[in-house]
Amino acid sequence: MQTVLNLLEAEPIRLFLSFAVILFLVLNLAGILTFAERKVAAYIQLRYGPNRVGPRGLLQPAADVVKLFTKENVMPHRADLWIFLGAPIAMFLPAAAVWLVVPFAPKSVVADLNVGIVFFIAMTSIGALGLIMAGYGSRSTFSLLGAMRGAAQMISYEVPLILSLLGVIMLAGSLSFQDVVNSQSGGFWHWYFLPQLPMFVTFYIAGVAEARRVPFDLPEGESEIVGGFMVEYSGMTWGLIQASEFASMALVSAITATLFLGGWQPPFEFLDLGNFNWLWFAIKTALIIFTFQWIRWSLPRLRMDQLMDLGWKILVPACLIWLFVTAGAMLLLPSVF
Amino acid sequence: MLSEERRTEGTALTQPASGRLANPDIRDEFGLETIDMNMGPQHPAMHGLLRLILELDGETVVRCDPVMGYLHRSKEKISENRMYPAVIPITDRIDYMNNMAMEYGYCLAVEKLLDVEIPPRADAIRALMNEFSRIMSHIPSLGFLLLELGAFTPILYAFRERERIQSIMEAVTGARMMFHYIRLGGVKADLPEGMPETMWEYIEGLESHLQPDFIDLIEGNEIFIARTRGVGKITPEKAVEMGLTGVPLRCTGVEFDVRKHYPYGWYKNLDFDVVTDQAGDVEASYRCRIGEVRQSIRMIKQILENLPEGEVMGDTGRRIRPTEGDGIARVESARGEYAVHVVSDGSDTPYRVHYRTPCTVNMQLLQEIVPGHYLPDIMPIMGLIDPVSGAWDK
Repeated sequence: MQTVLNLLEAEPIRLFLSFAVILFLVLNLAGILTFAERKVAAYIQLRYGPNRVGPRGLLQPAADVVKLFTKENVMPHRADLWIFLGAPIAMFLPAAAVWLVVPFAPKSVVADLNVGIVFFIAMTSIGALGLIMAGYGSRSTFSLLGAMRGAAQMISYEVPLILSLLGVIMLAGSLSFQDVVNSQSGGFWHWYFLPQLPMFVTFYIAGVAEARRVPFDLPEGESEIVGGFMVEYSGMTWGLIQASEFASMALVSAITATLFLGGWQPPFEFLDLGNFNWLWFAIKTALIIFTFQWIRWSLPRLRMDQLMDLGWKILVPACLIWLFVTAGAMLLLPSVF
Repeated sequence: MLSEERRTEGTALTQPASGRLANPDIRDEFGLETIDMNMGPQHPAMHGLLRLILELDGETVVRCDPVMGYLHRSKEKISENRMYPAVIPITDRIDYMNNMAMEYGYCLAVEKLLDVEIPPRADAIRALMNEFSRIMSHIPSLGFLLLELGAFTPILYAFRERERIQSIMEAVTGARMMFHYIRLGGVKADLPEGMPETMWEYIEGLESHLQPDFIDLIEGNEIFIARTRGVGKITPEKAVEMGLTGVPLRCTGVEFDVRKHYPYGWYKNLDFDVVTDQAGDVEASYRCRIGEVRQSIRMIKQILENLPEGEVMGDTGRRIRPTEGDGIARVESARGEYAVHVVSDGSDTPYRVHYRTPCTVNMQLLQEIVPGHYLPDIMPIMGLIDPVSGAWDK
């Protein structure tokens, strides 16, 4: 028994196992989130949602996956094979990889990188690559338009996303997620969403845009470009794109919870659950995901020029101003920070 | 992307719009090209069967050629081969969102050639059902507008309303959609017992939840305003010049409503306003539609308050055979002025029937005002016109 445990703690095996667990988690998360999405949508739209497969429709995601696996993969005529098939993977892997640095509980983090936040930024940027590959490889005007929109959107919103993180990094004095969470200990009034409220709002909005959700789902734009970059995908390639969308939504929620809402820190100190603090993390993430879904089913979509206006003319200046305010406050009141 | 032959074929079908590049200088300098895009007929936002040949400069549309005809069902020819009463179900299928007005127009046109007196109760019931049909068409069209802007939920609220009216219609006419209720000389049957009370109850309810379910959800929404204000701007002169009718005309500020200016049937006795707006954009058309639903509620209440007693069917004789000549009737359908021209040669069947549907005329807007807009603006402009594929193709 002891040897087995020792073996598990060996670094390569631990990493391999952790990655397997993370992958399992993310794939399941996508399934759970499709179910949650449909139930929330149904609740908002005064209907039942899936309720036939399994108890209360809980097995619906499983049925969906079986369907997707058995569906034929249709390739458009003269599509670029490697780019077309590589795109879903290029979208999914970065979205799954960031979970490696997300701290779930005090000791549960696969790799506590000292540059975790930079890793997160880098990985979300790679996601845009997959999107462009999908749009370019499927050789369709609709896809190409979707990919163009997607590229412009992801690059523009990367800027406010990164700027809004700077305040937190300055306050925590570290680029490691675990350090950021540790510096928010001691009740919810120590969480960064209070001193960094404008940054929190900006990060949330930019996060919605990064996850390509309504009102920023222009790359999909189903009413004008019918699904945009993924219009030509079917079967499991489509399923993988869908999974990466849900994974990135969950990821943005988790990062928001980690950086601004104290991660696994309990709202009050007497509620500390020790190693079970991941429950707090899960609750916070779930709440943010719910707000994403709420917005998704209530709001119309913005237009490309309006999206750019919002990003460059409102979010970026707001971030810069608050960055100076934060820096000034840290300089003038070193005792508080 | 379209090949060269298919492109020229497309342009041969319709004249090209005033095609111009958004940024001709940049194009010359960098050797950029526009892309052609074929939107529809299999496209979720193209109301079933409309094909738009677009020329895009990035996201900007520089040319938009609508191609109609994918739902042509020879309505006018079929009408020539049927006996007069048997044409009514055909008219039902022209504008399937607002069938009652379609039946009404045809019956009015034929009745001009018949020597028949319509009982007042039948007239009142015709107007009543027409207004219900208008609500049934306007409320989903608001939902469609929002759906095309990317919000999925309002359409379901709208269809909940439509379902409720459909249940009322089913109780009265026996059908949920293709009513065949207005007949030559009157209506098929009197209202069932207790129906006026049910209608009153429903109308009261609609009035109270129009505000929370539609207006509060839509009107103050900044994204909705950003997407619709100033989009698809039409001037009153342009609208008159193009022969627009219905909401696209009234939202520019031109006051024209057949019910008011050429009243027919029971509308002579009703007190209502013509809803107009000055802006002439998509947002104005939304406000017009909401206003018209309110006016319809007002009319239904008036009709129900003074519903005359008596017969619901005039005496047309056993065999309907109008005198030689032609009859024209115009009615206000939910989409604009709908006119029917019936030519009779004295036999059992019409010699010629022509349906002037508002959609066909209003669709000209696309070619005229879409160039210069962004690609996603096409959808709200479609929402402004609110076309029904059955009505533009016939």
